[in-house]
Amino acid sequence: MRTRLSPLSAFVGLCLVLVPSAWAHHSQSEYDLRGKVEVEGAVTKVEWRSPHAWIYVDAINDKGGTVNWSFELPSPVTLMRRGWTRDSLKPGDRVKVTGAPAKNFPTIAIANFITDSSGKPLFTGTTQIHEPEPESKEPR
Amino acid sequence: MLLFVLVTGPAVARAQWLNYPTPGIPRLANGAPNLKAPAPRTTEGKPDFSGMWFANVPSRDFCKEKDCIQEERMAREQINLGIKLKDGLPYTEWSKEQMKTRRANGGREDPHAYCMPPNFPRAWTLPQHSRIVQTPGMMVVLHEFNAAYREVYLDGRPLPVNPNPTWNGYSTGHWEGDTLVIETNGIRDDMWLDIQGSPVTESARVTERLKRVNFGLMQIEIAVNDPKAYTKPWSVTIEMALIADTQMLEEICMDNEKDTRLYKK
Repeated sequence: MRTRLSPLSAFVGLCLVLVPSAWAHHSQSEYDLRGKVEVEGAVTKVEWRSPHAWIYVDAINDKGGTVNWSFELPSPVTLMRRGWTRDSLKPGDRVKVTGAPAKNFPTIAIANFITDSSGKPLFTGTTQIHEPEPESKEPR
Repeated sequence: MLLFVLVTGPAVARAQWLNYPTPGIPRLANGAPNLKAPAPRTTEGKPDFSGMWFANVPSRDFCKEKDCIQEERMAREQINLGIKLKDGLPYTEWSKEQMKTRRANGGREDPHAYCMPPNFPRAWTLPQHSRIVQTPGMMVVLHEFNAAYREVYLDGRPLPVNPNPTWNGYSTGHWEGDTLVIETNGIRDDMWLDIQGSPVTESARVTERLKRVNFGLMQIEIAVNDPKAYTKPWSVTIEMALIADTQMLEEICMDNEKDTRLYKK
């Protein structure tokens, strides 16, 4: 189920989102951070380049057709510091990816959780900056 | 951490110098860096800030049964540098208008989103690492994002008068006891301090007071006096953790930037 946010609340209200999400080097207002997509399928391509790694996943849609999803991840640098290498995911690997969808592009999302075909977690975003912050103020 | 290594072990073991021991640092009996050891000093007796630093955000694991993976570590000040201030940052009317526009546009004019340089003091809070190289006459701060650098002159020179504005401005440092006080002017007029777009302008004088509490921890008080952007001077203190047994990794943003296309439809 997807719920739309205004740009203002999406921008400032990030601190209220309690789900993990991959963090980027910018505001993420291009994503509906309260929306959710779940995709299960085979990796078709991995872009292991800065500022963000991207993985592409073929999944079957409701009509039986194949849809190639694009998922944004943190930078390769961030991923390497958490144990990934450029070979951690390869074309053909089966994954399940949960993410937040792009507002204006139907098959693009930012990943916040990835498991392999056995359910073993491979990647999670952060909850640390999303916890409620009572002293946080919007600009006055 | 052990479980994390088990999940990812073979990959970690063969990565370049990601886990190569840093020589010459204090260590515990188990070989881990002794982060509580006293702060090192230079041959001149001053605190030595040299080393790799990252925002002091606790490491947390996400576990599913026996499989654990590490969450991303991100500083909350990356979003709002004044997040710990009771009343927030004291924006001027000009700043409020800037912020209003920046919010309405979803932050899409953020220079950082367009791969512009990591400007200090914002750069301390970014998700890339900094490396301080300290010499008697100069501190150099290297930053992974766009493989950037910043010079802080420690040779007693004055700040420049009416300088050509730049992304990091012009910085000099002097010692007040064990605190290194860095003064900066000449910052460009259109800089952002955080993701929500808190401004800093050409009228700013930024003072960073660096204290190395112990081997593993540095505190930086960031004081901003910018009458164009703020109704009064303000300061916040952030903490940086020493990162040992690894290396800097370059992150060249223009290599494959694909987010700005998502703004354009």
